[in-house]
Amino acid sequence: MKTEKKANITTIPFLGDIILSGSRTLIGIALGLLTSGILIALSNANPLVAYGAMIKGAFGDIYAFCNVLVRVSPLLLGGMGVAIGNKAGIWNTGIEGYMYLGAIGSGLVAIQDWGLPSALHILLAVIAGMAFAAAWGLIPGYLRAHRGVNEVTCTIMLNYVAIYLTNWLVSDAGFFAESGAFFPMSKIFQDSAQLPILLRGTSLHPGVFVGIIVCLIFFFLLKYTPFGFRTRMLGGNPNAARYSGVDIKKQIILVMVLGAMLGGLGGAIEVIGLRHRVYSDFVTGVGYECIAVALLAGGNPVGVIFAGFFFAILKVGGATMSIETGVSSSMTSIIMALCVLFVIGVGLTDNHRVKKKSNKADAVAVVKQKEE
Amino acid sequence: MEEPKFALQMTDITKRFPGVLANDRISLDCKKGEVLGLLGENGAGKTTLMNVLYGMHQPDSGKILINEKEVEITSPSKAIELGIGMVHQHFKLVETLTVLENIVLGIPSNKVFLDLEPIRKRLLELCQEYELYVDPDAEVWKLPVGQQQWVEILKALYRNAQVLVLDEPTAVLTPSESDQLCRAIRRLTSEGRSIIFISHKLREVVEITDRVTIIRDGKLVGTIPTSEATQAKLAHMMVGRPVSIDRRPRQALQQKKPVLVMKDVNALDERGIQALKNFNLTVHAGEIVGVAGVDGNGQKELAECISGLKKPVSGTISVNDTLITDVVADPKFIGFIPEDRQKTGLVMDFSVAENLIIKEYDKEPYAEKRLLNLQNIKKHAQDMIKKYGIKTPTDTVKVSTLSGGNQQKVIIARELDSEPILDIACHPTRGLDMGAVSGVHDVLMKERERGAAVLFVSAELQEILALSDRIIVLFRGEIMGEVDGDTADAFTIGQLMLGQALEEKT
Repeated sequence: MKTEKKANITTIPFLGDIILSGSRTLIGIALGLLTSGILIALSNANPLVAYGAMIKGAFGDIYAFCNVLVRVSPLLLGGMGVAIGNKAGIWNTGIEGYMYLGAIGSGLVAIQDWGLPSALHILLAVIAGMAFAAAWGLIPGYLRAHRGVNEVTCTIMLNYVAIYLTNWLVSDAGFFAESGAFFPMSKIFQDSAQLPILLRGTSLHPGVFVGIIVCLIFFFLLKYTPFGFRTRMLGGNPNAARYSGVDIKKQIILVMVLGAMLGGLGGAIEVIGLRHRVYSDFVTGVGYECIAVALLAGGNPVGVIFAGFFFAILKVGGATMSIETGVSSSMTSIIMALCVLFVIGVGLTDNHRVKKKSNKADAVAVVKQKEE
Repeated sequence: MEEPKFALQMTDITKRFPGVLANDRISLDCKKGEVLGLLGENGAGKTTLMNVLYGMHQPDSGKILINEKEVEITSPSKAIELGIGMVHQHFKLVETLTVLENIVLGIPSNKVFLDLEPIRKRLLELCQEYELYVDPDAEVWKLPVGQQQWVEILKALYRNAQVLVLDEPTAVLTPSESDQLCRAIRRLTSEGRSIIFISHKLREVVEITDRVTIIRDGKLVGTIPTSEATQAKLAHMMVGRPVSIDRRPRQALQQKKPVLVMKDVNALDERGIQALKNFNLTVHAGEIVGVAGVDGNGQKELAECISGLKKPVSGTISVNDTLITDVVADPKFIGFIPEDRQKTGLVMDFSVAENLIIKEYDKEPYAEKRLLNLQNIKKHAQDMIKKYGIKTPTDTVKVSTLSGGNQQKVIIARELDSEPILDIACHPTRGLDMGAVSGVHDVLMKERERGAAVLFVSAELQEILALSDRIIVLFRGEIMGEVDGDTADAFTIGQLMLGQALEEKT
């Protein structure tokens, strides 16, 4: 077979990959916004005005932007939880459930009046939340690793269990629920267990910074440690991982539990930072948005930061857009979904092309023979 | 009007994929009742050419004539309509359906209910006629691979194929099944049907075909009558330089020091069926033991047990008197070239450098203080690339972009560079072109000279005969017989592969 060498962007070492994957994502998002624009126009609003309102809603003033920062916190932590699973070839779709468990765990500690110093009380609450979520994540982790149960089915089913467990705890459990409340909720958290507000007049808590730091830590872990190597190897080719001596069962459980802990941390921060109580469905859908965040990020921890912010901006700005232009509030979800779809679509077609363009004719031949 | 002489003519077929010229003005023709060999290394463009013929790809230029009339083949169903039948190297059967259902599949019908009886009758007739016997009601996955191939051929014949393309048909067959196939081919051609026989096994091509078309690097090298061809000549045309994979000269073993000792090993396969039965084997230092046998007779389990990937049900396996049962392979102990490069041996999305350390990523000098030392990993990769002549632009490119031969070099570098006591090589040349095959043979011979014990599993008799000091033949998880490498012949081994013990013959 003959080759025709052509310089392309992938031949630039290191940077080439980043430019390529980054630009793919941006093109996908642009296409998603374009298509959503058509839908907005169809619902009798000017897309430019609508997007303008969205930007104003997210960046218009410091309060709006703080709102974005508050919204982004669970998306970063949960998104990272999904992303680490992606890297290991596991679909950890249980973030919603882990968030509830994290909230329950931290709530159980946070409502106690132990007279502890605030830092310690917060720390204990966070640890309790992560521990609850970790135990929850152990269930699908074990079933997947040792029994070969599909983790997607398992985690999604467990999400419902977690939601109803929370419902029961905040409405009927005497030790946890607020008695005589107009709406199912837990007792109020002690002041000492509440995260500090960073900016007066907003609800900005440090969650977003925790999220960013966690993402950066995982970026480092995945790239520079044997643990990360093992995880990526498991995702890249589980057979090869097994053959290289990796205990893949242990690794699968570890990755699922880590994802669960991140989700639990997200849930814990959400209640001790923002809500100060556990409500019956306080994170409706955020766990699933985290899956979309990880998808948009392609499993890359730094990508999770950008994707998380993108979604938070859409959510906060979307509310304003809906108020100012009368577009239905579900338009925000549609925009998110379209962006994710286009990013995935562009990514896939591009991969195809780049593979064929690669200057190794033999490799192409091998790929082709495999396809047959 | 006189009967057309050519069943098929392809003229100046050019097919271009982005950045790759897969077929460059290739022409071939096939007369009625002729067996045309299509010979070429992997990646030479054989498969692309046949996919053009079968309507899976459209040629960028060139003409296809069937019965000397120009046709345009826009889809496989058009190809079938025109009387072209194709048996792919990897079968296209629905494994959970029965043979009969697979035959019917894809035949248009206006009936509401399927009436299988006439089809069954016709199928049984075809079986009789071509001596390709299969049970119409057997589910395909339960059939041995050889019979699955019969199903593919019968499927094409049921559709009345006049030009039948067989893509590497003998790769999965036992010697006697190959003979059976030959008889069927003779039968078909005597009826005026034409066969295009794709292979890179020279011996078969010389035996079966009437003419041979050779392509290399997407270009036509030439077409010669088989009567004028020798294996050496064909190999030369195919590779572009003289090559041989003859038996390697060697010095006799001086002393026998047992390295691998297996005692009464029993093991199950993935489905829980016994794959090794009371298996006893000793491999000595400085010796290549060839493991012959039809695929699926316990070779895979044998290799997995020794490398620690599979736990035997009972029995002991030791290397240099150290038990390795339950222990996953240590690279200093065992070098393991797995059966499937891409499925087991490599992480295709990892770089060359990363793939070179997937067994030692957590050991010094690649990991220090719980961190990966990227510099040492890079340096190691560059050393290995130089030492083993791995053709790659840099150590950071994904291993998936390398050719099969170079991917195998990555595995060889990783597995053998630490000079293990025991080498296990499972089908190390599968899918490689002849140049790369002879490179792998060189490596294994060098390992032998270094004093490593080498267990060499292969389905290709020719290379087993070329390399082994001793040959054991596996049949249903047992050693059917053992023959000396110097005096072995293909016929004896073929008999053993079919489960006929040596005593029965004498």
